[in-house]
Amino acid sequence: MTAPIEARRLTRSFGAELAVDGIDFEVGIGEIHAIVGLNGAGKTTLMRLFLGMLQPDSGEARILGSDSGDATSEVWGQVGHLIETPFAYPELTVRENVMASALLHSVPPSSIGAAVDRVIEQFELGHWANRRARVLSLGNRQRLGLASALVHEPSVLILDEPANALDPAGVVFTRDLLRQYAGEGVAVFVSSHHLDQLARVAHTITVIHRGRQVGMLEPSGIDLERSFFEIVHQSDMAIREAQA
Amino acid sequence: MRAAFRVEIRKLLRSRVAFVATALMGVLLPAMGLGFYTVAVSGGTGSLADKAAALLTGEGWVGYLGQVDQIAAVALFLGAGVVVAWVFGREHSDRTFPSLFALPVGRGTIAGAKFLVLIVWMVVVSVLIAVVALILGRVAGVAPWDAGVVLSELSRLVVISLGAAVLSLTMGLVASIGRGYLPAIGTMSVIVAVTQIAVLFGTGGWFPFAVPGLMAVAGMEGIPTLTPIQLALVPGLAAASMWLTVRWWRRAEVI
Repeated sequence: MTAPIEARRLTRSFGAELAVDGIDFEVGIGEIHAIVGLNGAGKTTLMRLFLGMLQPDSGEARILGSDSGDATSEVWGQVGHLIETPFAYPELTVRENVMASALLHSVPPSSIGAAVDRVIEQFELGHWANRRARVLSLGNRQRLGLASALVHEPSVLILDEPANALDPAGVVFTRDLLRQYAGEGVAVFVSSHHLDQLARVAHTITVIHRGRQVGMLEPSGIDLERSFFEIVHQSDMAIREAQA
Repeated sequence: MRAAFRVEIRKLLRSRVAFVATALMGVLLPAMGLGFYTVAVSGGTGSLADKAAALLTGEGWVGYLGQVDQIAAVALFLGAGVVVAWVFGREHSDRTFPSLFALPVGRGTIAGAKFLVLIVWMVVVSVLIAVVALILGRVAGVAPWDAGVVLSELSRLVVISLGAAVLSLTMGLVASIGRGYLPAIGTMSVIVAVTQIAVLFGTGGWFPFAVPGLMAVAGMEGIPTLTPIQLALVPGLAAASMWLTVRWWRRAEVI
């Protein structure tokens, strides 16, 4: 069976800068696949390629069996994502924002009310439901972004730093949420700077450095941080040797 | 399209930018027209009275609504342009543009819905200006009631307002390519300046942004009669820029 998220020799550059360099990658059904890397390593670019936000220079980024560049509405209707800024229009209330996301994700009109209520309760946003998003704290805006990404019950979830701005309770909540969705068969592709968080939730951890896939981390391994820096260091050494 | 339209209309209804622009154009603009007309016919002296008198296109309702026409020809382009720039630039400026990708509703459809909402809003504002101008004119008693003349002049006001407003749809393209509302606001200032120059050199009829202003002063000495082709340039430019904007939204990447 084809993996819901799949990349083959995926490459994208910005001018002379190779942001993603020949990456082969997949996320299976019910799998939480995390990518880690330093700032500018290419994590967000990789996610954008899967979501059709960028077109590859070469290679393939496939989502639910379709090329991300020409995926149909049916495919995108099964995808939820949160990349960079949460889906939170400041002039709309929390409820209106989630409703807008539901509409744009083609949730049937008869189901929108129930779907919105479900995620507002799930993300503990009930207290803020009728307030404008502009008054929310950063953490609650992130919760709103996650609620908007999940209101249509996707089967593929792509989240860039989902725990950004969340308090410790929010981080635990997000981790449990990812586990729950993966348990229901959702393919989860997630990035994070926090190795500890990933270790507790991911099935697979890929290290990205300078646009390339340079190694894997064992989620149950000891001292992930040290292993991560060793992989990055070895990659830098290999590049230097190749250039010498 | 229906889903995108519902989202976009909700955003516009909740927006402070649209609210302020509607209030300023709907109320202030006819009030300014009445003020200039009152000064023009007061028989007073001074630079303001002289200028206002020089811009009178007639007497009574024709003169009063002519003043409103002339203000609307510029103010609607600028006022509506700010709203158009905000509608197409806000997702870039607040960095929520990536949220509009990977959706069952395509970005071309979202851009189309933005235009549809803006056109509906422009019609509402143009009619609002005419209604407020009518009420103010009646309250101020600018001239005895003449239904034929008043309705004809109000129709003309709506056409000029709408013409100036639809020209601002071009700012959707500028805000999209410029990835924010500020480039569009800057471009509008340049267009207003270039329009003045085009009119001074007598080529204004072929410069679509000058057409509403020339319509507002039609019949005055030295003002050329606009040909049907020149008039058609206004909706033509608006349609072309909408098509290009939708195309841009379909193909755009997140950078």
